[in-house]
Amino acid sequence: MTADFKTPIAVAVALLLVATLPWWAGDQYQLHLAALICVYWILIAGLNLVVGYTGQLSIGHVGLLAIGAYAFAILAGKMAWHPLAAMAAAGALGGLCGLALGLPSLRLPGFYFAMATMAFALIVGEIVLAQVALTGGGVGLPGPLFPAPFDSPQGFYYLVAALAALTTWLSWNVARRLWGLGLMSIRDNPVAAQAVGVPLFRAKLVVFVFSGITAGVSGAVFSSLQSYITPETFVFELSLFFFVCIIIGGRGSIVGPFLGTVVLTALPELVAPLAKLGNFFYGLLLLVVVLAVPEGIGRMVEMVLARLRPRVVTNEPIEPDLPRLARAIGARA
Amino acid sequence: MSSTAALSATRGSDDLAAAVAKQARATLEASAIGKHFGGIHALEGVSLQLRAGEVHGLIGPNGSGKTTLLNLLSGFYQPNSGTIRLDGDDLSTATVQYRSRIGLARTFQKPRLLPTLSVLDNAVLGAWPHARAGFLATAFGLPWVAREDRLLRARAVELLHGVGLGHVLGRRANLLSHAEQRFLEIARGLAMRPRFILLDEPAGGLTGHEIERLGNVIRTLRDGGIGVLLVEHHTDFVFRVCDRVTTLNVGRVIKHGTPDDVRNDAEVIRVYLGA
Repeated sequence: MTADFKTPIAVAVALLLVATLPWWAGDQYQLHLAALICVYWILIAGLNLVVGYTGQLSIGHVGLLAIGAYAFAILAGKMAWHPLAAMAAAGALGGLCGLALGLPSLRLPGFYFAMATMAFALIVGEIVLAQVALTGGGVGLPGPLFPAPFDSPQGFYYLVAALAALTTWLSWNVARRLWGLGLMSIRDNPVAAQAVGVPLFRAKLVVFVFSGITAGVSGAVFSSLQSYITPETFVFELSLFFFVCIIIGGRGSIVGPFLGTVVLTALPELVAPLAKLGNFFYGLLLLVVVLAVPEGIGRMVEMVLARLRPRVVTNEPIEPDLPRLARAIGARA
Repeated sequence: MSSTAALSATRGSDDLAAAVAKQARATLEASAIGKHFGGIHALEGVSLQLRAGEVHGLIGPNGSGKTTLLNLLSGFYQPNSGTIRLDGDDLSTATVQYRSRIGLARTFQKPRLLPTLSVLDNAVLGAWPHARAGFLATAFGLPWVAREDRLLRARAVELLHGVGLGHVLGRRANLLSHAEQRFLEIARGLAMRPRFILLDEPAGGLTGHEIERLGNVIRTLRDGGIGVLLVEHHTDFVFRVCDRVTTLNVGRVIKHGTPDDVRNDAEVIRVYLGA
């Protein structure tokens, strides 16, 4: 029960670190990197509920990211909407597209669902390329800046950090309540989930739409951060990258995938030799994690902590407390 | 007619008694159920009445259709003919989820738990039908959602202590012994506040000591007004705890009655119990 006050302390420390980052970050480039991590995390925090909690293997979220990014670039750029309104619209459109993709595909079993989401991502790429009048085709579109106070690198960082904190909070609320258990029951044992009354399809759809909204919002700030988007910005590898962040971080955890996102985004940028390896680095890391700690780095931290304070596992016999049981079931005796 | 007169005479003076009587009458009823898989007739013309506050045993040789019937009652299968009703409400084609909401819980032959989650989390999952919090209310952390969550957790803790798992609340489910997993499934089912609980071979793999504890738990549920369907191979155990027993053989009911009636039935002895 010590976790009851450990959690607020951890949250306070994390918020303090995030809030003070512009002061201790070495240079503008590192600030840019921190902003990129936040942008990715906005998407991954939502996707984590789909992949890490509900166990639905979506590898097509780059399509939703692209939809959000282009919606933002078109609305805030060409049509001169206020960028914050355009960002909200991008989120709504991401949610709608998530609904449109989820309705037919979420009834499919694991592998086929993954294929459907992949096909979706490829189709989005082709549409973006073909609709030259709207998207600029292969030439692309400029990603508009946000107005003051979000127009400076620092201001923009605070915007995306706040959005990232918000999506983290939302997904954490879901994860720690009964809903989180319901989602994990769909992942671990759909038959048991059904038996306790979890509406499998509806729950999957709701979470998928949520992940579509976060992907749309992430796309909006992504296009602004990139300052220029083309179809090549949204390569399929990016989708795999999101997926791998969650798998490496560990399923059924929020801290794990967040660490995964930080490590996978920052390491290749900060350690030059790794950048040369590119996808090979991700592949290698994924292989090592899947083979050595299949439950992800989140679980690895847990295991190390458990090792530090060993507990004796005793097998006491089961002794029902019948009067207490009778009270608990509300006996009308 | 006289009973109607008696009822109207007391109406208003004792609503509680009427409610209790209604509760006592609550019956989960399968009538003339037929179920086939391709050309194989798993069940034919099977009827069974599970009353609230009663332990009903379902026995029979392997492949006689016990688990098929349980799957039909809980909604995992739908019958090809016949009906399933709860207090007159036709459930024959209702979803599993709907049945969970109106008070039907079940356990599985092979315990189905969430392996990486704690015992408490596994039990709380059973409270799903009673949680009013939707996704949005949960995501935005509304205060009443947290209160509801605490309440459901507190209840699950009580149930776990009640079935004898109070000492392993925080243990991961995949670290439990086989018996603990079975008791945890029962606790999860009870978190659904069921009117009927269907237990699929709950004594399988348990030691004598554990089976005795299981019997005590089942009797407590019965005394609390819950109807218990006990699918089981341990015939001694069935005859000890059940009020009534139904025996199936190749998809048909061959004997139905009190434990003594069934135990001494020539046909039951011939096909199942042995001499």
